[in-house]
Amino acid sequence: MTRTFSTICVGLVALAAGCDRNSPPVEPASIDAALRQDLARWGVIPIGPMPAQDPALVALGRTLMFDKILSGNRDISCATCHQPSEHAADGLSLAVGTGGTGLGQSRTLGPGRQFVPRNAPTLVNAGLGLFYLFWDGRISGFHSGPFTTPAGSALPPDLPNILAAQAMFPVVDRREMRGERGDLDVFGNPNELAQFGDSQLVEIWQAAMRRVLAIPEYVTMFNAAFPDTPTSRLGFQHAATAIAAFEMQPLTKTDSPFDRYLNRDDAALTLEQKRGALLFFGKARCSSCHNGPFLGGGQFANNGAPQLGPGRGAGAPLDFGHGDVFNNEFDRFTFRVAPLRNVELTAPYFHDGAYPTLAAVVRHYNNVPVALRGFDVSQLAPALSSLYHGDEATISAVLATLDFRLRQPLGLTNDEQRDVVAFLESLTDPSARDLRSLTPAVVPSGLPVQE
Amino acid sequence: MTSPGVFFSRLLFTFLFHVFFSRLLLAQLISIKTVPIAQGDQFEIFPSHNLAMGGVSIAVPDTLLDPFRNPAKGARLAAAPRFFGSPTFYGVSNGAGGGRTLPLAAVTQAGSWFGGLSLALQEVDPSRPPVGVAVPFVAQARAAILPDVPDPGPDQGSHGNAYAFAMLGKVLAEPRLSLAGSVSWSRLTAVDGVDLLYPGSQAIRQLGHAADFRIGMLKEWAGDRALEAVALHDRFGMTDDVTYLDSFWDPGTQRVLQRARVEHELDRTNTWGLHLQYERPLGASGWRVGWLATGNLMSHPKIPNYEIMNIARDPGRSHAYNLGIGFSRTNGPATFGIDAIYEPIWSETWAEAEAPTGTALGDTIPAGGKTVENHFRFSDAVFRMGISRELTIGRRAPAALLQLGLAARSIHYRLDQYDRVQVSGRNQVESWVEWTPTWGLSVRFPELELRYSGRVTKGTGRPGVGTRANGWALEDASAVRAGSLLVAPSGPLTLDAVSVVTHQVSLSLPIR
Repeated sequence: MTRTFSTICVGLVALAAGCDRNSPPVEPASIDAALRQDLARWGVIPIGPMPAQDPALVALGRTLMFDKILSGNRDISCATCHQPSEHAADGLSLAVGTGGTGLGQSRTLGPGRQFVPRNAPTLVNAGLGLFYLFWDGRISGFHSGPFTTPAGSALPPDLPNILAAQAMFPVVDRREMRGERGDLDVFGNPNELAQFGDSQLVEIWQAAMRRVLAIPEYVTMFNAAFPDTPTSRLGFQHAATAIAAFEMQPLTKTDSPFDRYLNRDDAALTLEQKRGALLFFGKARCSSCHNGPFLGGGQFANNGAPQLGPGRGAGAPLDFGHGDVFNNEFDRFTFRVAPLRNVELTAPYFHDGAYPTLAAVVRHYNNVPVALRGFDVSQLAPALSSLYHGDEATISAVLATLDFRLRQPLGLTNDEQRDVVAFLESLTDPSARDLRSLTPAVVPSGLPVQE
Repeated sequence: MTSPGVFFSRLLFTFLFHVFFSRLLLAQLISIKTVPIAQGDQFEIFPSHNLAMGGVSIAVPDTLLDPFRNPAKGARLAAAPRFFGSPTFYGVSNGAGGGRTLPLAAVTQAGSWFGGLSLALQEVDPSRPPVGVAVPFVAQARAAILPDVPDPGPDQGSHGNAYAFAMLGKVLAEPRLSLAGSVSWSRLTAVDGVDLLYPGSQAIRQLGHAADFRIGMLKEWAGDRALEAVALHDRFGMTDDVTYLDSFWDPGTQRVLQRARVEHELDRTNTWGLHLQYERPLGASGWRVGWLATGNLMSHPKIPNYEIMNIARDPGRSHAYNLGIGFSRTNGPATFGIDAIYEPIWSETWAEAEAPTGTALGDTIPAGGKTVENHFRFSDAVFRMGISRELTIGRRAPAALLQLGLAARSIHYRLDQYDRVQVSGRNQVESWVEWTPTWGLSVRFPELELRYSGRVTKGTGRPGVGTRANGWALEDASAVRAGSLLVAPSGPLTLDAVSVVTHQVSLSLPIR
């Protein structure tokens, strides 16, 4: 028995030493579990409430946004290119600045005018705290500054946020709002804002404020919005601050189904949208750029967008985008990755509005080189067809710096592409579909609002 | 064990209570386990003669533990009234938990009546390291924690549990027929491993009770044959208040901030059970044979929504059975025993719609209707074997007992899941084996017996205890290379191999 006991002891020890487990369980998670993992991995988190803005400030900003008095020729307001009826954009591929006529998608160039080189982005959710503004990111900064802008030290120091800093610039841009030397305004009077040199930013801002404060109703509104600032010390930065407040308050729209899903409502998205989301964060690689709280906005990338329009900066008639800001060849043709909330409402897409639908955008990303070489000009407005740069040299230049994540085809099937579009449509806050109530009937200058 | 493929988030849920208590009262309560997560031997609090023999129990009587399983078996123990103390320590490797228990018990008799009483205090350590706040943020953002967020802080302290057990029985007739009843009650503020089931949480506050009522019968015939029966009702209820810190983007400060969220998770399970066991000698060769049969009917009025789960479920019900056979042979000072138990289990859980919910087919599931159904079919098996050998020290024999054993538990199940909202279904088959070598040594003195038993369980794991930072595995390295993101607390987890080591020192001495 002693031998038996010893044998069994040895056997037990040997058996115990050799024991190991079977293959561990591995099985795909449920769609919600998988999606929430993806959301966490890509830093997609809910957006908190926007701090309430001073009503007097918002009221002033709304009025200024729609008043053409800020433009040199008194013929265009901020809202002309950021139309409530077009979801705070203009529905055009390339914006039409001063001298143009009409609103929204029916707006046309004035005689002798050129398109603004880039698409007018929506102002919806512009106040969420993006770090870069404008397609080329030439304005950047954190909450309270300092802000990096083309104005350098000329920028007033007391701007409260980056959105206010951005609002300083459309009025100094000749194509957008200021006009060309020798322009006459809508009343036939000389455009005094256009007479300044392009580097005389301070003088332009001062001149614009002189116009505004010449109207008593504006003085009252400014005094209500800035009770601690004497009228004599009011500058254009105060106007920009008010415009920013307007953008932050009624133009923040973050109650989309996707936002509700982020706040732990699994039923907020349809199955199709969830499938699309999994593709968005997975196979389609969208999230490698469109990530974080805004699903974009924090990076620059060359997405292989067709070159379209008059161009800008040193690359004209091409548009080097972010590469032009820093004169950097590596960044040529890179543009800010657009934040995607409410993207369904803001066609056409890309920095030059090359694609009219989300389906076309997803198709483009599915195989960028092929899409770029096969770009269909017919999807552009007739006035833009001649401005498409589809020559081999341009295409090769764009593809040379194409983002590495887009160099290989994604291999999305048609159904998968539809699912991705369905997900993108889940980013729409229903209250953003109709913003027309934001348009005031009249503005203090008496200039027409809806013409 | 390194188990890179064990994605915790892809696993299912575990009926913790039954996992734990089944160890304590194996064969009467059948465990249901769907996750190969390691559990500490928290409820291994009563002294056991056979713990070091792999826990064999069908054909080898466990004179110390049997009265706690079947109170009628107290009649055997009460013949020699004794006092027990069995301080028990368990630890999970890699610092992934541990606990200490000091139970005190006494069993005595008066005439044909017998009874016992046991009290135990326990301290359980947290099973995981404090959660590092991995805030997802855009690279350019300045991540911050809102200073006025009520931050409960990581829960690093140990928490205590208390247990009470009482039994009362009577020997009714000769040949012996014993009837007894027992009640056990537990106040629980710490169930080992529960904190692992809520990854990413900041703190967990547990509070609950467990009650177990048993009526046992033991019929012994001449020739050393015995039949026992146990009817039981068991109620378990825990509330887990789980605090999470949710990250969100604050447009006002242009920062990632956090806010506290407390989830109240209820865990309720009620069990009715019936257990039969029979043993008898096989001739005069020292062999014995035994069999057991058990049925459990369980209702799960509420199962917690563990953060790791991927299966929606609210209530559920299960019926579980086991059939086992055991052999033993005693030859002089040596005893060998082996058990083989098969456990078929059927379990169904489901999720209920909180509000009318539309389906992919356009139908509407009314509030309270089932949205997701999970059907589990288990084929579990338990094998145990052990040996003991009495040793002679000096001229006085027997004075010591050496024990070795091994237990293997095989879990195999198939899940069929139906999602009535998405009108889809899937199935899943899982299996793994847990191994538990055991050892022990006891020394007998004329006035007392001192016993040491130990065991180590392998084949399971715990998340977040390996070398990976905070245990969060970066599933997709490209996410890091892209330079934009850090992995977030609810990201994918992997189980890291751990061993659960238990040491029990029991002291037994006669009361009179």
